[in-house]
Amino acid sequence: MEVLLAALIALALAAGAMSAFVAGHADVSVAATEFCGVFVQALPFLVLGVVISGLIAAFVSADRLARWLPRRPAVAVAVAGVGGAALPGCECGSVPVARRLFGDGGSGAAALTFMLSAPAINPVVLVATAVAFPGQPAMVFARCAASLITAITMGLLWLRWGRAEWVTRRLPTPHATDASRWAVFTEAARHDFLQAASYLVLGAAAAALLRVALPPWVFQHLAGHLILGVLTMALLAVVLALCSEADAFVAASLTMLPLLPRLVFLVVGPAVDVKLSAMQAGMFGRPFAIRFGPATFVVATVVATVVGLVVLR
Amino acid sequence: MSRGTQNTFVLLVGLSALVMAIKGTYLHFVKPSLLPWLVAAAVVLIVLAVASIVRDLRDAPDAPDADEHGHRHRPWLVWLLLVPIALTTFVVPPPLGAQGAAPEAVAVTAPPKRAFPPLPAGRAPAVSIPDVVMRAAADSTNSLDRRLITLAGFTVKYPEGTDLGRVVIVCCAADAQLARIHLSGAAAAEAAGYPEDTWLQVEGNVVPGTSTASTNFIPTIAVSRVTRIDKPANTYAY
Repeated sequence: MEVLLAALIALALAAGAMSAFVAGHADVSVAATEFCGVFVQALPFLVLGVVISGLIAAFVSADRLARWLPRRPAVAVAVAGVGGAALPGCECGSVPVARRLFGDGGSGAAALTFMLSAPAINPVVLVATAVAFPGQPAMVFARCAASLITAITMGLLWLRWGRAEWVTRRLPTPHATDASRWAVFTEAARHDFLQAASYLVLGAAAAALLRVALPPWVFQHLAGHLILGVLTMALLAVVLALCSEADAFVAASLTMLPLLPRLVFLVVGPAVDVKLSAMQAGMFGRPFAIRFGPATFVVATVVATVVGLVVLR
Repeated sequence: MSRGTQNTFVLLVGLSALVMAIKGTYLHFVKPSLLPWLVAAAVVLIVLAVASIVRDLRDAPDAPDADEHGHRHRPWLVWLLLVPIALTTFVVPPPLGAQGAAPEAVAVTAPPKRAFPPLPAGRAPAVSIPDVVMRAAADSTNSLDRRLITLAGFTVKYPEGTDLGRVVIVCCAADAQLARIHLSGAAAAEAAGYPEDTWLQVEGNVVPGTSTASTNFIPTIAVSRVTRIDKPANTYAY
């Protein structure tokens, strides 16, 4: 506590000097502004996410959730995938919600499917995609279908190969059974916010630095190379860590590329990026994140390419 | 890390969001439409923090550190929250200018033509630069032809000349892109005399047929008057 107060006083005293330094260095200033952009944009969605996860902690017990979901795990995964459409928001909010739904074991696969589908197929994102690609409804359909298939595939893969011991982070156990609903809610929301927000800082910083370091020619030398274009757009989606409600507009502006690589960008982005992987490492644990991230990347890229080849022709 | 410090961090993040909303500095980073959400998020965080602090003070004697186990792994990571608190409240980096926006996409094919609404009436209506770029490339009614218009933006220097630009953001500063228009005509030399990132208001006519694939769909405006203006409070276009 004393250290924090000292740090704050030091910050207040050094604010002028730091502002001058940032303003004097173009790269530092761009990176700082982009970092703040990602963080400030994500903050309301993150808060919405931890409020929902707090409500789940307070009101939805594990056995009640199990009663809501179909008995057969594979069917539960499919239901969770479609159910993702009910959480309007972007990916930052869905990580704490999914961690809360995941519980300690239990219906884990369905929670992971929900985590991947919610930011990609909710109505807000689909409307944004339709606005960004006027006159191309196939793009909206392809995005929805590819994201849903990716989410369900990852859920089924987790059912088959996932191991509970990869999830090393434990949720705080409710200390007393007589704790009030309000106390359970605030404790869960507070815990999830601190975990997710501190990893969001790491992810936003990585995204801002990579954007500044990324040479401009990356954007320009891709026209005509299908496989190269797909791979580059998939990697760009990971690196740029855009909000799923904004990525459609960015993809729409990259008019030098055909639709297929841009679809890959839209499907990979909400499922896996540097910011999400950092947050997953924080909420689920590192052994989970280093397996789940790359697997999602491969599945999302392949699924989006196949769907794109079928739909966008 | 003590629970008190954790609660203080939640409180500080909430307060810094509130400060950004009140001082208007959030406009350096995101769109105005995020304001109600940002305020709501700030209020939720402040309420959460105050509720936790009050409960800890009340329960302090009988339940010290009752649920620390969630944070045993890397408690120092929470200290990273000092970075956004410091940047958004104390440092406040400037909005992106000519240097920060992504290089605009190189369009290979012309965008599909559609009819834009007519320009506002008057001698020289104010039009935003991204709107002019869109109209020049895709307006089937050619609403820009033979019309004097007023544009505001900052100067962008290139070896070949001076452009007037605006940074367009869709969602937040991380997706910023530069919309720009080449300056030519009688007053272009005056505009070129200013250093980069000077805010100017110019009057002129868009030269028909300058927005083509060979110019990357960047139109040219023949400028008849240049006025230096103050940097606006909200520098982005949407």
